[in-house]
Amino acid sequence: MANLETQQLDNIIASRRNMITLGGAALATLAFASVAKAQTTTTTLTDADYLNFALNLEYLEAQFYTLATVGDTIDSLGVGIASGDTTVAGGTVTTKNANSYISCKVPFTNPLVSSYATETASEERRHVAFLRNALGTAAVAMPNIDLFNSFNTLASLLGLGLTSFDPFADDIHFLLGSYIFEDVGVTAYTGAAPSLTVTGNLAAAAGIQAVEAYHAGLIRTTIYGLDQAATTLGAAGTASAVASAISHLRASVDGSNSVTATNPDGDDVGLTTQTVALEGASSYTASTLVNASTTGSLFPATAAGGTSGSTTFARTAAQVLNIVYAGGAAGTGGGFYPMAMNGNVK
Amino acid sequence: MKNVEELVKKAVSRRSFLAGASTAAAATVLVGCSSGNSSTTTTPVTTTPVTTTPGQPSYADADYLNFALNLEYLEAEFYLNAATGSGLSSTDAGSGAGTVTGGGTMVTGLNSYQQANLYEIAQNELDHVRLLRSALGSAAVARPAINLSTSFSALAVAAGIVATGGTFTPFDSAADFLLGAFIFEDVGVTAYLGAAPLLTSKAYLTVAAEIMAVEAYHAASIRSQLVYLDSLAPSKPYLAYANDISALRATLGGGGETALSATSIVPCDGTNAIAFSRNVNEILHIVYATGNGAGATAGGFFPNGMNGTIKQTYS
Repeated sequence: MANLETQQLDNIIASRRNMITLGGAALATLAFASVAKAQTTTTTLTDADYLNFALNLEYLEAQFYTLATVGDTIDSLGVGIASGDTTVAGGTVTTKNANSYISCKVPFTNPLVSSYATETASEERRHVAFLRNALGTAAVAMPNIDLFNSFNTLASLLGLGLTSFDPFADDIHFLLGSYIFEDVGVTAYTGAAPSLTVTGNLAAAAGIQAVEAYHAGLIRTTIYGLDQAATTLGAAGTASAVASAISHLRASVDGSNSVTATNPDGDDVGLTTQTVALEGASSYTASTLVNASTTGSLFPATAAGGTSGSTTFARTAAQVLNIVYAGGAAGTGGGFYPMAMNGNVK
Repeated sequence: MKNVEELVKKAVSRRSFLAGASTAAAATVLVGCSSGNSSTTTTPVTTTPVTTTPGQPSYADADYLNFALNLEYLEAEFYLNAATGSGLSSTDAGSGAGTVTGGGTMVTGLNSYQQANLYEIAQNELDHVRLLRSALGSAAVARPAINLSTSFSALAVAAGIVATGGTFTPFDSAADFLLGAFIFEDVGVTAYLGAAPLLTSKAYLTVAAEIMAVEAYHAASIRSQLVYLDSLAPSKPYLAYANDISALRATLGGGGETALSATSIVPCDGTNAIAFSRNVNEILHIVYATGNGAGATAGGFFPNGMNGTIKQTYS
């Protein structure tokens, strides 16, 4: 069994390999559509499998927000990361500066952004604890998480000329790092909800999904707000433009095939404007606070391409993995999960 | 699975919970449960109880969708009037629709983001009306009578924002509009969270979850705008007013609120950070603006009550 040091080396090698194979716009042309299913080790997924999938995502979010606000990991704050049956230890968290966690503490200058970050970190940690408690001995350990190479890789794929991205650098970088996660969380829970068989699990999942939607709305509103004050992100343009590029990347690589000429947003709407008709023939210039399409066919809602008026999107587990693995293969991992997720949905 | 659910519900009901508090959804995970097996090798862990109220009838999916449609009619009328000065078309309101009292005055003085956001939210709510009407087909109820005038004043008086006999309208300023929007959005989230797990159709469940998420995006935007407004030291304590409204909703609707502040934007339970859900009874108490008691069939925003099966408080 690899010790921590060789595990870290493996992570670096794997992530560098990913960067080499996935560099540049070539990513967008790779056949992600062929990754039809997440790898599963069982043929019938249980509620516990889906909740563990959610737990993997919550580990990632909780670590990101906690490092950003406290400069340390969730386990250092007492949140468990080992498997529920204690046989598997929690994985590692890779960050900038050779895993100097304290250097991840964001030097917030905007007190409202700082407050949002602290609140969100607390809520995501509580989601981790809640899911672990509910899963009991079935809770998976936190897999290895990468919060350094992952962001750099994704930045290089945005088509904005960025070669790196540090979400811990300042307020606006933090908000954009958060932007990567929250909308995806909403779509992940929506996609999994119909597969849950126990009402209590469904209610809990829906309640967590709602919080992720609040987070997403919060982040998007704040980015819009900061851009009103003409905050820019250097050569990459405004923060809203970067957010929109992130949305476009997600829609392009998740395997949903939802991006078309007539539906260029696909299943992920960025931060821009849109034209709405309301009840008249007039055209009104509206925002895109909500990650939803106001065009497209009405009921029923589908994940890939088809949208219902003003409803958010749903993603399958495979589609979520295409995003968070930054194109890495199901079962193998990459991106934020260099050794893939833990559990039966990976 | 049903036998196991019964066991779980019995365990849940023995738990104590806050008096009168609407509760966050339960987490009752049955790990390793095989179909039809009522014995457990499981770890049924309940954190907070499922929102149930003794005596809540069991409704069909169409009843819940029509209940949601009533709420969407209300939101659509509010936002369309705020945005354009007029509300739903007769087509979108349905045949035999009730009258809308109040409205008719566009909100002015919004900054460019607020204006753009208002148009977006109005389109979203209009789309929700259309989506639910489309899903329900001939079973869709028409818009009931809606009050957008005295309802707001009564609510403001009850919340302590204005003195008895005073008036409040959300259409006369940007800040008042934010308060008006604040009234609705969190309630919408809790309503969908209460109904979604009770739907039998997976397709309807997905749609409900997706609409709910949109309402949560709205609510987050409104709540954070109120916090930001408060940071500018406005002439009136709008954040405190919002919390007066929140407290009133908690009283009428069985809890289910988190006081709004810069450090608590997301309304969720303090233990697990799960959003609150409300059952139909709690929602009716809020939108009818009536305290405890069964048998309320109208009031507040719905002067003639909601349309459809779910329209009367049962406790």
